[in-house]
Amino acid sequence: MSEMTEPINDFEPRITAFVCNWCTYTGADMAGTSRMHMASNVRIIRLPCTGRIDALFIIKAFERGADGVIVSGCHPADCHYTAGNYHARRRFIVFRELLGFMGVDLGRVTFSWVSAGEGAKWRDVVNETVERIRELGPFDAYHDLALRQAAGAASGTSLDVPDVVAPVVAEAGDAS
Amino acid sequence: MSELQDLARKLLEEGTVQVVIGWEAGRRGLRPVTITDPSDVEKLVFDTRSVHNLATYLDPRRTQVRKLGKPAIVVKGCDTKAVAALLREAQIERDEVVLIGVRCGGVVKDPAGDATLTLETVAPRCAGCDVREPHLADFIIGEEQPEPPQVTSIDERVAELDAMTPDERFEFWASQMEKCVRCYACRQACPLCVCDQCVADKTVPQWIERSPHARGNLSWHMTRALHLAGRCVGCGECERACPVGIPITLINRKLQQIVAESFDFEVSDDPATASPIGTFRDDDREDFIL
Amino acid sequence: MSAATYISAEQLSVLVAELVAAGTRVVAPVSAADGTANYSEIETLAQATFNDALPMPSLKGHFLPPSEPLLSWRQNGGDVELTPAPNCFAAQVVLGARPCDVAALNVVDSVMNWDYHDDLWNGRRDASTIISIACPGVDESCFCSAVGLGPDATRGTDALLVAVEGGYLFEPVSEKGEAFLGEYERFFTAAPDTALAAGEAFRAEARARVEANLNIDTKRIEHWIDGHFDDDFWPTLGPRCNGCGACASVCPTCHCFDITDEQTGVGTGVRRRSWDTCQAKKFTLHASGHNPRDDQNSRHRQRISHKFYIYPSKFGDVLCTGCGRCVRVCPAGQDLIEILQGIDQLALSEEGSL
Repeated sequence: MSEMTEPINDFEPRITAFVCNWCTYTGADMAGTSRMHMASNVRIIRLPCTGRIDALFIIKAFERGADGVIVSGCHPADCHYTAGNYHARRRFIVFRELLGFMGVDLGRVTFSWVSAGEGAKWRDVVNETVERIRELGPFDAYHDLALRQAAGAASGTSLDVPDVVAPVVAEAGDAS
Repeated sequence: MSELQDLARKLLEEGTVQVVIGWEAGRRGLRPVTITDPSDVEKLVFDTRSVHNLATYLDPRRTQVRKLGKPAIVVKGCDTKAVAALLREAQIERDEVVLIGVRCGGVVKDPAGDATLTLETVAPRCAGCDVREPHLADFIIGEEQPEPPQVTSIDERVAELDAMTPDERFEFWASQMEKCVRCYACRQACPLCVCDQCVADKTVPQWIERSPHARGNLSWHMTRALHLAGRCVGCGECERACPVGIPITLINRKLQQIVAESFDFEVSDDPATASPIGTFRDDDREDFIL
Repeated sequence: MSAATYISAEQLSVLVAELVAAGTRVVAPVSAADGTANYSEIETLAQATFNDALPMPSLKGHFLPPSEPLLSWRQNGGDVELTPAPNCFAAQVVLGARPCDVAALNVVDSVMNWDYHDDLWNGRRDASTIISIACPGVDESCFCSAVGLGPDATRGTDALLVAVEGGYLFEPVSEKGEAFLGEYERFFTAAPDTALAAGEAFRAEARARVEANLNIDTKRIEHWIDGHFDDDFWPTLGPRCNGCGACASVCPTCHCFDITDEQTGVGTGVRRRSWDTCQAKKFTLHASGHNPRDDQNSRHRQRISHKFYIYPSKFGDVLCTGCGRCVRVCPAGQDLIEILQGIDQLALSEEGSL
């Protein structure tokens, strides 16, 4: 679908990070103010707590074209709300395995604990994740699931992917 | 059979309950029935085709059932797990329902099919049945039954999928997901899908894409499964209800395995046990967290 | 209508290959691993199966897909650029569709061209030539003959195939069917008398088989529903029903859809329509929170009334072609045949008491 057929290592992954406000976001901020060098492929979404991160956030990120996802929050026992990260951990245990069972390569999802003081750890998490996903390549397969549906759909269009020309459109008058 | 019918008649005539929910013989095999008139109890049947998990009819949001009055429902051992879950989650009160437990020797997959129990016909849920006696029930009727034929098909298929590469699994599920037309028969048949407002029905914001293309469908099926993690009783009604034959129980079974391995939890017929999601332990595994 | 002609299985196979090579989309029943069949696009005739299994779901999805884009939008500053979905489609030949599925398209044409002309529906209809196949009558849940059709009904079709030894009788029914025969004449030969006789026997036997399943008067049912909105009969239907859309999704005539917007990126998105069902709680939920059909009793009454009273009084057709799929898929064992018998009996007894 893409007109670009560039070599795989020129591929720049799009990565969405869901982080908690109190630890990882502050840690990421520290990495920035300390002028640490790290890949610029990550878009951060700040949430009050990892306990606020619903599995649907991660699903939605893949739907909208993310090639990888990072989820990060406070270390155990450090949660601003006492137990949000413990609840999150349980849910992530289940959700991560479910994602794997549905065929999502688990290399595309990174979970980490990064405290407010661990700017260097955030840098490493980001760089490692970007490199891993660069190897795995784009995750168009997930995004393009929207083109598949029951009845094979004599669909006249694939408006879902804005830049793709509609494949099944006939010449006018083609119909007998 | 007459034991069941006599008990139902007695409960209705005494006024203990106003409706008995059980199975009757229809034109095509057995199916659920609501009986409000004591003279209709002869319709009640229990045999290997009593497949439906009637706990589904206890959902308080089924107002058309609620308005019939206090119910007695006929439950197999496995069905009591679903009743226990509804009690655990405070969807119903124990004294709001009378449970007529029947001793069961296994059911077939298809209530409209052959009633003979064989390795081919037996419902997958009967494998490893650990509720041969419906302890939760108010009345337990019927003779003790032999153990149903044991199949391991679900676990074998889960293992087959586990053995695939991620790409192969992704393609397997994509080809299943593209069949889904989002009729929500799986949700409606589930005794534990009791939300008044399902996240899949919300369109503002639209967390789950409404359209039945494989992407929206995958989002729906993953969310449905997650919301049942540690809750699913494995009755398989979702898969039986599916008009396009998506192997939904494979996902549910996988989640049961994950929950069992990670949290040492098996769903039971004891309403007092806590659900594994919504609680935690300090030493939960975090080998996957950097 | 011209007399039937004959095409051998080998010639039909060559014909399909020629159609596919010419870029025509050929749709036929295809067997799945579990023994069921579904209507899918084929490349060769060998992929198709014309056995007894009724394809599931119906043919409807090839004319009204479970989900289809209506338009896409893109925000440009203060403007919104709209691109409608193209309504011109590649030529399509449907081969071996069941008469109930084909008649359903014709029934639904009325509502698709009533106050609004549905270009996407009409576009696919115009681009399609439909060659149905006489059905042997599948099982005890078939009741096409009770709603004015039959296992060999030709309503809505362009030509009818009847399976005979070694091939098929081909009976053109419409102008499109005649044109198809004219264009591909070289594949056809005159039908041998034995084949004609065998075809007649097959059709008569199938009709007798299906007629035995249900005998009702749909006019009588229509009249009864008209005066019995609050009848005690309706609340007997709701309690069993799960309130899912399995029946509607496999129904060849259910055509209700929901329209939603799906964002695809910042300032871009697609407006889609997707199958919906009157059995869903939210189908009639008002923005105020009020729901005029607030339980399954009223929702089930709607399903039956729409099919056997509302649609017939508006368009003159029962919105049901008797395929029986709803009966077969219902996880709760709801049985339209019994419901229709029940209403017919009520109507009869009221007529008798007048």
